[in-house]
Amino acid sequence: MTGAHPRRRDRFTVDRRRFLRLSLTASGAALAPGLLAGCGAPAPGGDGLGLKIWDLFSGGDGLLMDEMMDTVSGGPEGFTLDRTILEWGPSYYTKLAMAAAGGRAPDVAVLHLSRMPGYAPGGLLDPFDMELLAEFGVTREDFPPALWERAQWEGTLYAVPLDTHPFIVFYDLDVAERAGVLDGEGRLIQPGSPGAMLETSAALAEAQGGAGLLFGHVTDPAQNWRIFNALYAQTGATFGLPESGPAIDTDAAVRVVSFLQELFDGRTNPNHLDYFGALASFTESRGAMIAVGEWELPTLRSTGIRLGAAPFVNVFGEPAVATDSHSYVLPRQESPDPARRREAHRYVAAMLRQSLTWASAGHIPAYQPVLAEPGYADLDPQSFYTEAGDLAVLDPPAWFAGSGSLFQDRMSQAIQPALLGNASAEAAVGRMVRECADLLDQPNPVR
Amino acid sequence: MSTKASPKTVAARDGGGGGVPEPSPAAGRSGARRRPSGGWFVLPFALCFGLFMLWPIVHGITMSFTDESLTLAGTSFVGFDNYAEAFGDAAVWNALGNTLFFTLITTVPLVLIALAMALLVHTGLAGQWLWRLAFFAPYLLPVAVVTLIWQWVYQPDLGLANQLLEALGFAPVGWLSDEAVAMWAIALLTVWWTVGFNFLLYLAALQSLPDTLFEAAALDGAGAWRRLWSITLPQLRRTTVLVGMLQVLASLKVFDQIYILTKGGPNDSTRPILEYIYDVGFTGYRLGYASAISYLFFALIIVISIAQLRFFPRQEG
Repeated sequence: MTGAHPRRRDRFTVDRRRFLRLSLTASGAALAPGLLAGCGAPAPGGDGLGLKIWDLFSGGDGLLMDEMMDTVSGGPEGFTLDRTILEWGPSYYTKLAMAAAGGRAPDVAVLHLSRMPGYAPGGLLDPFDMELLAEFGVTREDFPPALWERAQWEGTLYAVPLDTHPFIVFYDLDVAERAGVLDGEGRLIQPGSPGAMLETSAALAEAQGGAGLLFGHVTDPAQNWRIFNALYAQTGATFGLPESGPAIDTDAAVRVVSFLQELFDGRTNPNHLDYFGALASFTESRGAMIAVGEWELPTLRSTGIRLGAAPFVNVFGEPAVATDSHSYVLPRQESPDPARRREAHRYVAAMLRQSLTWASAGHIPAYQPVLAEPGYADLDPQSFYTEAGDLAVLDPPAWFAGSGSLFQDRMSQAIQPALLGNASAEAAVGRMVRECADLLDQPNPVR
Repeated sequence: MSTKASPKTVAARDGGGGGVPEPSPAAGRSGARRRPSGGWFVLPFALCFGLFMLWPIVHGITMSFTDESLTLAGTSFVGFDNYAEAFGDAAVWNALGNTLFFTLITTVPLVLIALAMALLVHTGLAGQWLWRLAFFAPYLLPVAVVTLIWQWVYQPDLGLANQLLEALGFAPVGWLSDEAVAMWAIALLTVWWTVGFNFLLYLAALQSLPDTLFEAAALDGAGAWRRLWSITLPQLRRTTVLVGMLQVLASLKVFDQIYILTKGGPNDSTRPILEYIYDVGFTGYRLGYASAISYLFFALIIVISIAQLRFFPRQEG
């Protein structure tokens, strides 16, 4: 999230390239094939540059990505990889769209699955070849059906999900035990109703001597939408964004926002925290539970707090968790080289098989065979929220929606005053509907 | 800041002999050689200027009459539709209002505080270097560092600002979450961050004022305040005009600190026009519409600049 290195290249590949270039100048071109063979890396497309990969993992998961790429680069079947890490957020998607529009995009890029409706219909992505994927051992049976469905557009596969990364709750196991909100196995008892959730948070607050549930949302461009999206889906209502105009169940939306106002009342649970403030409060043990993305696991684990985790609390009955999915896509190439394309498919398949490493960042692997591996069940607390992957609710499909989008920002800004006590739930929902209508009114720039 | 150097003066200075043009045959020969070589020297700049300034300006205008998108969707000519949309877009007016409000509440303190600090330092406080360093140091910080520091200062729960308020017995303030406060909080940060540059301009101007004036006034019996009002401030007039103009332009183009700290929120209360243009063009992919808004803003800057020139005619101090 913090993007310390907006543009950093994987060290081993750069070093190799520089070494290669120096050797070329010193000893002549004849040496080059020998060097490449020495590195054990076949040169896809014959240019020796290897696959160009773009991703947005700059935090703890970025290091795990390094590890996975290192692993697949080794051995006789290894890849030559040129990785570029860009900062997550709107600018990443702008750069990716521009690169694809220009037709000289990276061979493989990471895209949030919720952003696909802004990419595939506009021709910014090239489809995957199912036969090639199958040749490398990846088929549709390896993925949760709902996720696989979202990776298609007009019946064609445009993305291969690497993970799901839900918005969940982490809690201090010791405090939660004292508060009596856990079952015999140390798992959170799902409240199942608004009243029960308020009781849970009050019990946690009392046991903690501070706040019950922490949630940072002030000036954040996504948090309010994540919590709203989960709770709204739990009511069973759908949030539709057809071109004819927003199809939103305003009664259900008002119930959700009113509940959030009750939950974050400023006494039991603070209502004025920002993202980092909430994280800091949790790590300083000033709150018993925190609602945040599972990607904060590496940060929270380093605090020494005995961590429990659960899919986001079920309040309105239907189990649902706000989620997105890091997926591999093939950005549009003006004239794709078949050899490179084949190598890209092979790479995606190889990375999926490394998903167990990826799971240690907190993400739930989308590639189901990994979940059956014995190592996965031992991951604590990841295995506590594995089912969140099946309860996944992504953003409504629209070209302007998805992670890091204007839509999430507008929705979050509409809800913020209600949580801060400056607007009614009705006013907040009214604004959400208006904002959706405005976004839908805009000419669609990707068609 | 306009540097007006006509080709003639450049050529004369270039002459290498004190610049007095003498109609000697040698000077004539070298003059004939100079003209084409001057052109070659200007060429790299002219190329860059054309490529990175003129061409984008022209291309931007043409783009503002189309529905060009950042993606692959086709482009068609839409006439003045984008401009008409911009005039009717409440978000444009809101963002313009925010930018102008920010300019107003930062320019005034950035001129006055810089002047006050420069006067204080110039009066000969002990430890001059320390004051100069302390006042100028924040200006050297990159925007990412400044916003990181202030993000923690304004942090609602643990931040320095609210801790101070609580210690003094006041209620905590939602520095970046309260619509009525957020822009002021950004202005405060901006003043802290950039006042050092104006301070330096004032200090340099103060140090170049001739001592004779002050000596003569002191001999005539003028006290310190009298000398300040009647000599120092009038002598600084040109600097004030310069600082004011630079500051208005700098404040109008505010973007970075707001984008990083509040993303324009809460409720769009801090979104400047440049962020709206960025949102429309790069997040919303609508380059044509974004260009149209840019040119409306450009027109406004020209109006403001002309007004400034009217109000503060450049005159010798």
